[in-house]
Amino acid sequence: MKFLESPPRFLFFTGKGGVGKTSVACATALELADRGLNVLLVSTDPASNIGQVFGITIGNTITPINAIPRLSALEINPEQAADAYRERIIAPVRGLLPESELAGIAESLSGSCTTEIASFDEFTNLLTDDTVYGEYDHIVFDTAPTGHTIRLLQLPGSWTEFLDAGKGDPSCLGPLSGLEKHKTVYAQAVRALADPTRTRLVLVSRAQASSLNEIDRTFGELSKIGIAGGFVVINGILPTLAGEEPLAQAVRDREAAAIVAMPATIAALPRDLVELKSGNMVGVTALGLLFSGAASGEAPARDRDAREIADEPLRTLVDDLERDDHGLVLCMGKGGVGKTTIAAAIAVALAERGHDVHLTTTDPAAHLTDTLNSSIRGLAVSRIDPVEAIRHYRDHVMATKGKDLDAEGRAALAEDLMSPCTDEVAVFREFSRAVHESRRKFVVVDTAPTGHTLLLLDATGSYHREIARQVGDSMSFVTPLMRLQDPDLTKVILVTLAETTPVLEAEELQQDLERAGIHPWAWVVNDSIAAARPDSGFLRQRAANELEQIDRVRAVADRMAIIPLLPLEPIGETLLADLTDGIAQPA
Amino acid sequence: MPTIRIYEAALCCDTGVCGADVDKSLVEVTADVRNLQGLGADIARHNLAGDPTAFTVDETVRAFMHTVGSKGLPLTVVDGVTVATGTYPGLEQLRELAGLASTTGTNDGAPRTELGRTETTGGCCGGATGCC
Repeated sequence: MKFLESPPRFLFFTGKGGVGKTSVACATALELADRGLNVLLVSTDPASNIGQVFGITIGNTITPINAIPRLSALEINPEQAADAYRERIIAPVRGLLPESELAGIAESLSGSCTTEIASFDEFTNLLTDDTVYGEYDHIVFDTAPTGHTIRLLQLPGSWTEFLDAGKGDPSCLGPLSGLEKHKTVYAQAVRALADPTRTRLVLVSRAQASSLNEIDRTFGELSKIGIAGGFVVINGILPTLAGEEPLAQAVRDREAAAIVAMPATIAALPRDLVELKSGNMVGVTALGLLFSGAASGEAPARDRDAREIADEPLRTLVDDLERDDHGLVLCMGKGGVGKTTIAAAIAVALAERGHDVHLTTTDPAAHLTDTLNSSIRGLAVSRIDPVEAIRHYRDHVMATKGKDLDAEGRAALAEDLMSPCTDEVAVFREFSRAVHESRRKFVVVDTAPTGHTLLLLDATGSYHREIARQVGDSMSFVTPLMRLQDPDLTKVILVTLAETTPVLEAEELQQDLERAGIHPWAWVVNDSIAAARPDSGFLRQRAANELEQIDRVRAVADRMAIIPLLPLEPIGETLLADLTDGIAQPA
Repeated sequence: MPTIRIYEAALCCDTGVCGADVDKSLVEVTADVRNLQGLGADIARHNLAGDPTAFTVDETVRAFMHTVGSKGLPLTVVDGVTVATGTYPGLEQLRELAGLASTTGTNDGAPRTELGRTETTGGCCGGATGCC
């Protein structure tokens, strides 16, 4: 493996959920410990499953992995980190300000931004605090700082420049602002991240366009803050062992096509291919084989055959949805699970049954919706482009609130609007419009990846509280959140793959939604090998592994559908319609 | 030189210029404060969420927080004397407070009382917590 050659002290693994990041990070940590080095394995993922991989409980303190000498692990829990963070701000004034004020401060420090910053805070300590972490030769991070966090570092004018000039915070740094003592630490962390002799970025992907585009985006964002020199690991390549059956051939063709078409920037980086193994990457033995060509796992399990899984086509969900003649259908889930495909299939099915349907997506890969637009009667397709939405929002603020400012003031305002909060807010505005429309027709929304979506719901929630406060009890009102909470209007469909991480993440998402008063209506298990009923021993072993995950979904879902892994990508109305009906494609 | 301190309600950032519906009074006070700082005035803002300690070191402010509380913010204090509550001083007023000569025609002379918190949607990030 190229990325394992003379590795620097810090290794970051990033990529979409479900690409096998944790497996690759854990296998890397094992490999480095085997070389006689002291290794700390860290996850900042709220749904971390490092503990599960090693069969022990880890958590917020450094825990030695007893089975492996020189290896320890740490899972940073963002919620706990946020609690500690709030406490650091509030503790010095406890007893000095009234209790009600303290509660108000705590409330204003309880959004997702604080959580993310708190995690980032812990994460910078790992990069900079040698008195605590100096004994480790390598620190392996299961997650890289992405999205929101990166934007915090990318603020206009750059951190260090502000600090040097002593100008204070020119932009919305959120709860970062005012914490003088942390500024040097943040600056040091940024320097460590930007130094290739100290930090290596490993971009983990599947051989799949959406997942490759994701790492290309992450790499682009990280490059902007000076973190260059990435390595690409394409995980889960179908091995020759999977045989020659049509499904296997089709999957190989898709993988090859995705790799050929991968974005030029990441195509130029050193690349390793890791083959799919028949077993789950759990336990030290399995992980030890991840980077070797050797097959892992046992012969196909015979105790329970994957062929027995019930036929649960998407059609049954569409039948249920159709009864109301209108409503909001929200397809949610982590990136890469096929939300856009499911949303499009549902929209096509509803339109073909004669309903008025609006399909709206935030997927930047618009090819799917392009092929649908104007091809089906009653179906309108629109795309929420976050970049456009943000531009509209900024233009709107500049033209209204900023119209009386002088040139200098306008320039400063424009800079303030580069705030990390702005993106979420801008998309939320577009989203609210779709919510409103669903009272008269079907609106099917393919939402952006989960972290984003939750921020969006959070914005919905605070908007709701604010309206409630302003209106008081005297008037009736309906906010977008109330519509999302109304089971007669809104049907949330959680999309997942029949694999450990995506199911875990979807379960977390379900809990988050429940906290916001939204109960998911259905689950869709996408790209199921089991449902595709393969022939080769290798694929049947993979299929058998899915059963446990499908059972977990069945246990938490009110209703569900299972979509087979298809030989062809379901693009265009005919293939999407087949997907709904569960018709196996001719390979 | 007079010391001007503006104590503000919990904003998700030091300027409060972000969120679903940007508060115009925050946009303006941000521009005004920058402007005066550029002219060398000793003026600073303190945000309750980011820096609550600032609200406890000054006796005037601490007493204000106990008797009125954050609903009475923003509070503008010049050399320990309260000069405005519940609304932001306008640019001209700030200039006077800072002891800087007025430049005519840049703005109206009156405090922008119409731009108090009543118009806002809670400052930052669309309300009480928002994304921050």
